[in-house]
Amino acid sequence: MKKLVALLMAMLMVLGCVPALAEVDTSEHVVITYLVTGDIPANRTDEVLAKINEKLTEKVNAELAVHWIEWTDWTTKYNLALATQSGEIDLIGTATDWLNAWPNIQKGAFLPLSEEMLQTYAPQTWANVPAENWELCSYNGEIYLIPEDEYAQWTNHGFLYRGDWAKEAGLENGVHSWADLAVYFQYIKDNKEGVIPWDANGNGSSYAPQMAGGWQTSHTPNVYIEGIGVDLFYGESKDAPYTLSNYYIEGDELVNFATEMKKWADAGYWRTDVLNYTGDVVAEMEEGLTGAHQHHTQTWTGQRTSLEKKQPGADVGFFWFGEEMGNVVGLNITHGAMAVAMTSPNPERALMVYDLLRNDPEIYRLMQYGIEGEMYSLDENGYIVRPEGFNDSTDGVSLNWWWGRRDELELRSADRDWEAIDALYAKYEEVKINYPYGRVVFDLSNIQMYLDNLSNVYNTYMPRIVFGMVDDPAAFVAEFRQQLKAAGIDICMQEIQNQINAAYGL
Amino acid sequence: MAKSKPVVNDQLSYKKPSFWQLLVQNKTLILMCTPAIIFFFVFSYMPMPGAYIAFTNFQYNKGIFNSPFIGLQNFKFLFMSGQLTLLLKNTVLYNIAFILIGNLLQLMFAILLNEVASKWFKKTTQSMMFLPYFISDVLVSLLVYNLLNYDYGFISNLVRNMGSEMAKVYQMPNAWPIIIVLVNLWKGTGYGTVVYFAAITGMDTSMMEAAQIDGANGFQRIRYITLPTLKPTVVILFLFAVGGILKGNFGLFYNLVGNNSMLFKTTDIIETYVYRSMMNSFNFAQSSAVGLFQSVVGFFIVIGANAFAKKLDPDYALF
Repeated sequence: MKKLVALLMAMLMVLGCVPALAEVDTSEHVVITYLVTGDIPANRTDEVLAKINEKLTEKVNAELAVHWIEWTDWTTKYNLALATQSGEIDLIGTATDWLNAWPNIQKGAFLPLSEEMLQTYAPQTWANVPAENWELCSYNGEIYLIPEDEYAQWTNHGFLYRGDWAKEAGLENGVHSWADLAVYFQYIKDNKEGVIPWDANGNGSSYAPQMAGGWQTSHTPNVYIEGIGVDLFYGESKDAPYTLSNYYIEGDELVNFATEMKKWADAGYWRTDVLNYTGDVVAEMEEGLTGAHQHHTQTWTGQRTSLEKKQPGADVGFFWFGEEMGNVVGLNITHGAMAVAMTSPNPERALMVYDLLRNDPEIYRLMQYGIEGEMYSLDENGYIVRPEGFNDSTDGVSLNWWWGRRDELELRSADRDWEAIDALYAKYEEVKINYPYGRVVFDLSNIQMYLDNLSNVYNTYMPRIVFGMVDDPAAFVAEFRQQLKAAGIDICMQEIQNQINAAYGL
Repeated sequence: MAKSKPVVNDQLSYKKPSFWQLLVQNKTLILMCTPAIIFFFVFSYMPMPGAYIAFTNFQYNKGIFNSPFIGLQNFKFLFMSGQLTLLLKNTVLYNIAFILIGNLLQLMFAILLNEVASKWFKKTTQSMMFLPYFISDVLVSLLVYNLLNYDYGFISNLVRNMGSEMAKVYQMPNAWPIIIVLVNLWKGTGYGTVVYFAAITGMDTSMMEAAQIDGANGFQRIRYITLPTLKPTVVILFLFAVGGILKGNFGLFYNLVGNNSMLFKTTDIIETYVYRSMMNSFNFAQSSAVGLFQSVVGFFIVIGANAFAKKLDPDYALF
C-alpha cells in the first residue's frame, strides 16, 4: 500500500510538476533566525516584529527572530558567527563589498541554493531577479546569494559642504571639484573664526581608502575593483576595465595628491593632530564648528534636511568624488544580499520567509516603517510622514533590512528635499557605468600573505599621504611605492589580472 | 650520635603517600581549588587542540580538524614582512618596562600603604589608585589626546599661556615610550598593589612585634622583614608575567596611537601590526598562527625563567 502511494505520488509529481512543487509542507511551526549587523534596537522593533510574525505564521507557519551583530568589533564577530554556526542561524545578511561574501562562500559558510529551491520556496523573488543577475550571484555554477537588485541607491563618497558659505566664497554654483574645495576651505579659514574647515576624525581606517580613491577617481578614469581587501587595485577605465591600472606603482597623479594634501595640511584645513582625533564631524557641522563632512551620497540626502534645522540656510551641497571626470560606478547588486546559512535546519522555510519579507507589501512596510497610523502616515503624494516628536531611536523600527529592498515597495520620506536629490541622481544616471567586475570571484588564497603585507604598507603610508603629514611628498610617495614593491604588489597584480582574464575569457 | 640514628631510620622508613592519600589529606584545599581548576581546564586546556587551526586552510563547513593541512604557510606572512625584528623589539621592551617598573611601584605603594596608620586614608588611597584600572582604553586615549594635542590640548594651552611653544607630541616617536609606560602604570599600579598588600597583610605579625621590641626602626623592618617575606610573591608574579612577554596590550596601543604611522617606529607591536595587515581578510587561521607563535615563545621563556629561579633558590620555582 505504502509503495503504491509513493508511486502515485511520484507519478503525480512528474505529471503535474508545478502544483506538486507549490504544495510545501508547513505543518510544523519553525523559528527562522536572521543574522544582521547592527546594535540591538531600543525602539519599538519587538512590538513590530510580533506583528510581522503574526503574518508570517499565518502565511508560512514560521516566525522571524533576529541575531544582532553589534557594531563594536563587528567584522570579527560577524565572521566568527559564520565560522562557528551550528544550526542556530538560518538567514544571513551579507555583501560582496563590505561583508566578505565571496571569501565566506569559499570557506563554506553558505548553503548553495538550487534553482528548484528558489523556484519552489521563493517564487516571487525568483521571478523578479533576471537570469543574468543570478549568474552574478553564483560561484562554481551554484547560486549562493539573493541580490538586492531591485533597489537603486548611491553610496559613492564625496564631501558634504555648506552652500551658503560656498556662495560667500564666490562659488556661485557650489563646490564641484577638488580645486573648488580648496577655495571653500581657504575661505572658511580666513573668514570664519573658530571654525575648522574640515574637522576630520582621521583616527579610523576608513578615511585613507575613501580619500585616496576619491582623488584617484576624480583625476583618472580608473575603476575600483572590490573584494580584494586592500584598495590598491583599479581597472584602467570604463573602456578598458579589464586592464589593471598602474596608479599605485608609477605616474605623477599620486604625487600630485600627496603634494596637494600637504598644502592643505600646512594651510590648516584640518587640525594638526588629525590622525589621532576622534570627534563627531556631523555634530560639529550642526553646531557650525566645521564646514565639511566626507561621507556618502545617502548621508547627504538625510543631512540636507536635518542640518537645515540646526543651521538655517546652510543649503548643504554634495561634491561627489569623480565629478570632474564623470567617473562613477553604479552600486554592485550584491552590495546587499541574503544568503542561507550552511547549517540552517530549515533552509526551505527560510527562503519562504525571505520571499515574504522582500515581496509582501504589508510585511515589507511593517519591517521598514512600522505600524501605519501609529508610527507613520502617508501624505497626498504618498510620501511618509512621521508623527510630531517622532524619534527613530525610541519610536521607530530597526530590522536593518539591507538585503532585499525594492524601489517598488519603498516609501519616500516627505521631509527630504527630493528635488535636489532627484537632480543629483539624474546626473549620476547620466554618467554612471555598471559595476564591470560582477562576474569575477577572486580566489586570493595564493596571494593572501602578500595582500596582508600590502595592507600593512597601505595602512602605514596612506593615512599620512591623505592628511599631508609628510615633509617631502614626492620622496614619501617614492618610499611608499618601494615598500609596496617589497611587499609583493607586482605578484598580486599579476594574479588578479590573470583571474580577470580567465573570468572574461581574455 | 646514638640519638640521631633512629631519626635517620625514621626518615628512611618514611613512605611517600600515594596520590589518593594526598587527595584525602588535602580534600578541603582541593575542594577550594576546584572552581579554578575547572575554569582553566575548560577555557585553557580544552581549546588547546584547536591550535591545530594555525596549520590549516580553515574551511567553515569542514571544521578545524577536517580542513586541509598546509603546514607552516600561515606563519609565513609574519616572517616575510621584514618587520618582525622591530615588532619583537618593541613588544618585548615595553613588556619589560611594564613588568619591572610596574612591580617596583606596586611593591613600593603596598609597603607605604601598610605603614600608614590612618585606616580612612588607607582605604581612600587604595580606591583612588584602583579606579584607573576600570577606565577603558578608549577613554584613556581621549584623555591623553585632550591633554597633549597640539591645537587645543590642555597642556598645550598651559605652555602657550606661559609664553612658549608646545611640542607636536603626536609627531614625536621618542615621546611615546614614556607616555605609554606612564599610562600603563597609572592604569595598573592600583590593581597590582592589592596583590602585594594582601601578601603583607598575611604576614606573621609576631615577627614584626619582635622586631619592634628589639628596637628595629621602620626602614629596618621593611628591609629585613617585609621585603624578604615578599620575595617569593615577587618571583611568582614575575614568572607569571614573563610568559606573556611577547603579547602586547592591543587595546592600549591601538587606542593611543591608532593609525598615526609617524609613531610606529617606537609604538608598533605584534598585535597592532597583525591588525593592520589582516583587518580586511579576517583570516582566523593566520591570526591563530601569530597567537600560537607568541604562546610557544612565551612558554619557553617561562621554562627558562623558572629554571633560573630554581637555581637561585628551589623554593622560588613554580614547578
